[in-house]
Amino acid sequence: MSSNTPSSSAAAAAGSADPSAARRNSKRPKYSKFTQQELPACKPILTPGWVISTFLIISVIFIPLGVISLFASQDVVEIVDRYDTECIPPSDRANKVAYIQGAANKSCNRTLTVPKEMKQPIYVYYQLENFYQNHRRYVKSRSDSQLRSVKDENQIDACKPEDDFGGQPIVPCGLIAWSLFNDTYTLSRKNQPLAVNKKGIAWKSDKEHKFGKNVFPKNFQKGNITGGARLNPKIPLSEQEDLIVWMRTAALPTFRKLYGKIESDLHKGDTIEVNLQNNYNTYSFSGKKKLVLSTTSWLGGKNDFLGIAYLTVGGICFVLALAFTVMYLVKPRRLGDPTYLSWNRIPGGR
Amino acid sequence: MVRSGSFHVDSSSASHRRTPSRTVTLGHIQPQAPSYRTVYCNDRESNQPVRFKGNSISTTKYNVFTFLPKGLFEQFRRIANIYFLGISCLSMTPISPVSPITNVAPLSMVLLVSLIKEAFEDWKRFQNDMSINNSTVEILQDQQWISIPWRKLQVGDIVKIKKDGFFPADILFLSSTNADGICYVETANLDGETNLKIRKALERTWDYLVPEKAYEFKGEIQCEQPNNSLYTFTGNLVAQKQTLPLSPDQLLLRGCSLRNTEYIVGAVVFTGHETKVMMNAMNAPSKRSTLEKKLDKLIITIFCVLVTMCLIGAIGCSIVTDREDKYLGLHKSDWEYRNGLMIGFFTFFTLVTLFSSIIPISLYVSIEMIKFIQSTQFINRDLNMYHAETNTPASARTSNLNEELGQVEYIFSDKTGTLTRNLMEFFKCSIGGISYGCGVTEIERGIAQRHGLKVQEEQRSTGAIREKGFNFDDPRLMRGAWRNEPNPDLCKELFRCLAICHTVLPEGDESPEKIVYQAASPDEAALVTAAKNFGFFFYRRTPTMVHVRESHVEKMGKIQDVAYEILNVLEFNSTRKRQSVVCRFPDGRLVLYCKGADNVIFERLGNGTDDIRKVTREHLEQFGSSGLRTLCLAYKDLNPETYDSWNEKFIQAKSALRDREKKLDEVAELIEKDLTLIGSTAIEDKLQEGVPTCIETLSRAGIKIWVLTGDKMETAINIAYACNLINNEMKQFVISSETDAIREAEERGDQVEIARVIKEEVKKELKKSLEEAQHSLNTVAGPKLSLVIDGKCLMYALDPSLRVMLLSLSLNCTSVVCCRVSPLQKAQVTSLVRKGAQKITLSIGDGANDVSMIQAAHVGIGISGMEGMQAVMASDFAIAQFRFLTDLLLVHGRWSYLRICKVVMYFFYKNLTFTLTQFWFTFRTGFSGQRFYDDWFQSLFNVVFTALPVIVLGLFEKDVSASLSKRYPELRASMRSRPKVPKK
Repeated sequence: MSSNTPSSSAAAAAGSADPSAARRNSKRPKYSKFTQQELPACKPILTPGWVISTFLIISVIFIPLGVISLFASQDVVEIVDRYDTECIPPSDRANKVAYIQGAANKSCNRTLTVPKEMKQPIYVYYQLENFYQNHRRYVKSRSDSQLRSVKDENQIDACKPEDDFGGQPIVPCGLIAWSLFNDTYTLSRKNQPLAVNKKGIAWKSDKEHKFGKNVFPKNFQKGNITGGARLNPKIPLSEQEDLIVWMRTAALPTFRKLYGKIESDLHKGDTIEVNLQNNYNTYSFSGKKKLVLSTTSWLGGKNDFLGIAYLTVGGICFVLALAFTVMYLVKPRRLGDPTYLSWNRIPGGR
Repeated sequence: MVRSGSFHVDSSSASHRRTPSRTVTLGHIQPQAPSYRTVYCNDRESNQPVRFKGNSISTTKYNVFTFLPKGLFEQFRRIANIYFLGISCLSMTPISPVSPITNVAPLSMVLLVSLIKEAFEDWKRFQNDMSINNSTVEILQDQQWISIPWRKLQVGDIVKIKKDGFFPADILFLSSTNADGICYVETANLDGETNLKIRKALERTWDYLVPEKAYEFKGEIQCEQPNNSLYTFTGNLVAQKQTLPLSPDQLLLRGCSLRNTEYIVGAVVFTGHETKVMMNAMNAPSKRSTLEKKLDKLIITIFCVLVTMCLIGAIGCSIVTDREDKYLGLHKSDWEYRNGLMIGFFTFFTLVTLFSSIIPISLYVSIEMIKFIQSTQFINRDLNMYHAETNTPASARTSNLNEELGQVEYIFSDKTGTLTRNLMEFFKCSIGGISYGCGVTEIERGIAQRHGLKVQEEQRSTGAIREKGFNFDDPRLMRGAWRNEPNPDLCKELFRCLAICHTVLPEGDESPEKIVYQAASPDEAALVTAAKNFGFFFYRRTPTMVHVRESHVEKMGKIQDVAYEILNVLEFNSTRKRQSVVCRFPDGRLVLYCKGADNVIFERLGNGTDDIRKVTREHLEQFGSSGLRTLCLAYKDLNPETYDSWNEKFIQAKSALRDREKKLDEVAELIEKDLTLIGSTAIEDKLQEGVPTCIETLSRAGIKIWVLTGDKMETAINIAYACNLINNEMKQFVISSETDAIREAEERGDQVEIARVIKEEVKKELKKSLEEAQHSLNTVAGPKLSLVIDGKCLMYALDPSLRVMLLSLSLNCTSVVCCRVSPLQKAQVTSLVRKGAQKITLSIGDGANDVSMIQAAHVGIGISGMEGMQAVMASDFAIAQFRFLTDLLLVHGRWSYLRICKVVMYFFYKNLTFTLTQFWFTFRTGFSGQRFYDDWFQSLFNVVFTALPVIVLGLFEKDVSASLSKRYPELRASMRSRPKVPKK
């Protein structure tokens, strides 16, 4: 094999008659671990011991994690109430779109029962389904610069088709703002109004940086068709938290958005009366609307997926570990048995 | 490295103005006919109107202005780059879901890297050109020699070239410091031949040697237009109202160098790109590896997947979008949302832009980078492939084919210089029926080893001389000891014959240690070296005399200088197969010395020495079977009368104008008869170091090795035995043209008949062999097969009608030996296997005759470190020794293949996962084509974020260590059978 140190390589190069000249003219490559491809490397050999213990370790870590996550998710108390159909008078249910676009009173009462003790803060969400807030056409129809500062009021190129009204720019422009959700909920418990705090539901960074303090709504919802909520032109955008929440578009067609927070505990068996204004038109694209009251745990809202995923992976690993152990015990095979080499398998193979 | 660049950075920028041959401008008739050029020597003003090209050369591909357009054009010849250009254009339009940066950024990064690489390579070429253009040469100006750079040299200039200098242009040879106006030229750069060639100036110009005299030289050279034929030149020199014909003998070509001559003076005829060597320069055909071609197919497959995905999305979108309205604001209907078809159409292109990352843009660049590092850092710097004796490291001349090395299944090897050293050593001799020399050849040792005999260590007698060309050890002959042998006179004649009968030129000091013999073949040099070591030191040659310093002739220890007058030289050629010299001793004795092939000499022996003849023949057979090359030596005493009458005939023949060669041969026959046999010599053509082990390792790796050689069958078979290609357990099929039937036909002499007979014979043999081969393949433990075929039979076997048979026979054989093959046949055989069997082939050779074979194979390997560079220039990889193939194929090739395969898989894996997430997301966005990733993330994903892991994998991945893969060559075979890149 080759010499391993630079000193010996120099000595070898100097083997000819004139050592100094030879060294100077030698084209002998310099030794380095990189060029000789001798950098330390390791390649795990998958011995039964290694494989079985790796699988076991994974399962030992994952199964408890899964159980913990599941428990955390179970702790979350959630009340979901779908009201899109229920809140239309039975006589109008044949043509829901006409009803929702009509001028009739949209008021509707729902009663919710608290199944378990709910510790504050209790979050109030509205959940929309089949609403493609992630549609390419929808997502790009906004003007971030306009939302940020007054002087960019005219940057409405991306906002089509809700960009201007009679030549005047709409603030906030674009489809997203135009289709702002406008159902409202009034909650009460035992005929006592239940306060829903609508402050602090938007991201702090959004309020401070993305929506301007001196940007006020202009020409908003003045078109032929009203897309959704109207905005108070006296309040700057940075304070319009419903809008800010709505403008942070959802990634999937089923999504929840925060409506407000209830800052008192709810007790098991409490009945909550909800008086809601069913204004928002999801009927034209058969979208569902749901009201959600939910507590949170350290893992967030109610979601069993994480726990189930952990449990599944851990479980599979455990089964595999078991299977390999059985195989190893029943039919062991010597490590590094040369008879298994391809050229040893066919006797006399050419 | 000479490349014919298509653009010239030409200082005179005369290229486009030069002699437009057919244009005739009004009132001014074109001064020069297109068929020849007139050069006024030593007169720059007269040459001015013609505007010859300058002597600066340029092998660069680009210049400052053409770099960008031409470089970009080269880049966009790659289909992947065109694809991304299209995508980039699409992403500028409003239908794109992503910002243009997503596609423009990676494309420009890829282009930038490629262009930088191109620029760097071109810069190196430019610097190389510059260093050549700026080397200096002395030209005559105002009666003195002035140094100017090569590039300023002009046609017609008178130049002076000193000893060992290179000729800066094609030069008409005028005068030399040597007597008789000759000079010696080395043409190794041109044809790889290392022997010196003699050039002779016209007698008329011999005097123009010193500046004062040369200044007076005014001549007009009329010669052919520049062309690429190295060995022809016609023209006239018109000087002092005389017209002298010029021949190639007077032309000194650029690229050659001056030897053995103090200096010469000449006139420049062709310059720069018009020199013969530059006109000959050709681009080596660029080879693409098979894996790369497979990659193209894979990319097309992926492209189809892309189209399918986009179609699904487009159909989905056109179905889904109908239902949605309100919040998308479609009531203000945009025209692209008018109906389902339109929606589908535009969504399709939206999605193509979105999913474009499924085709890995940086794949080619990354692979190129990986291969570049593999070849420059790993192959070129591998200490295991560094040959200390010739100071030559391995060199990958192209980085395209690294992984191809890992898939080679057939090796075509030249013999001389590749398997053997082409280093002839005087090894044994037989004088007067006694065999001398006690060495054991490597071949004998190999045979003994295979028979399980123990090989005794070579015991050399103390003080045995060992030098280049001489490996003879027998105290009976050394240091005058031959005087005590039974035939001292014959010994003396043998030594004299060796010292006199040759065409070798001595070079350097006239001392035994420092002298260097320049010979046409290494055999001759070995023989003269042998004579030197026996005490007959040939030290000087003049046109008529050979000077030999003889020791121990009259009595032990006495040294005397003897000058032999050379009267006639009967030269060697392939029909005569012998060479003779008639010389006159200082004491007036006339002797003819002759050496040649055994059968030729034996035919011409006189009567009387039957027993010596018989014993010598036995010795010849022994020598032959141990793989030695033999020659017979003979002499004849002449009496002056017979010589004089013969000499007259000889002179007549020599001055004959027609059939001179034939007449000379006939005259030679008259005197080369009744010879007295002296004995024979045996020269060992040594195997390169480690060849047998290397061949054994390679064949264990499942590689089949074919030897293609110009040598005769016996020698080829000998060498094949010696290097383990053939052994006695193998079944040999020999297809030779030396059969009785063919010989008979040849004697009848009818060409058509000969062809028919040979073809029939070859067909018969092939059929028979093929049947036997198939039979033995069907039996379980049949012997391995080998095929030996000679060039003449091969010519017919390569005929389309027999080709299939030849192919199927040879594919069944583990080793094939083709002897007496021409360079063209070497290439034909290579492409037969390449195309016919669809296997990856590798050719390895060292000489100009291997170039075609090297270019025909998938991978061409040149043996470097020798003087000839032709093979190396044509090759893809250059290594110093055959045995380095083990490292090159089993370590570098294997790893490279493994790594590149993994890199390709990795690339497709990461891009598929990246893009498929987008695809699945599309289902949840109403097929609108909304992007899932941030623009910058998507644009940098391939070229930045995931660039390094792939490259690291491509450089460092190892499955087993280098030593293991050399110890178990079978690993390579097992890897090849398992396709790494899935065929979709």
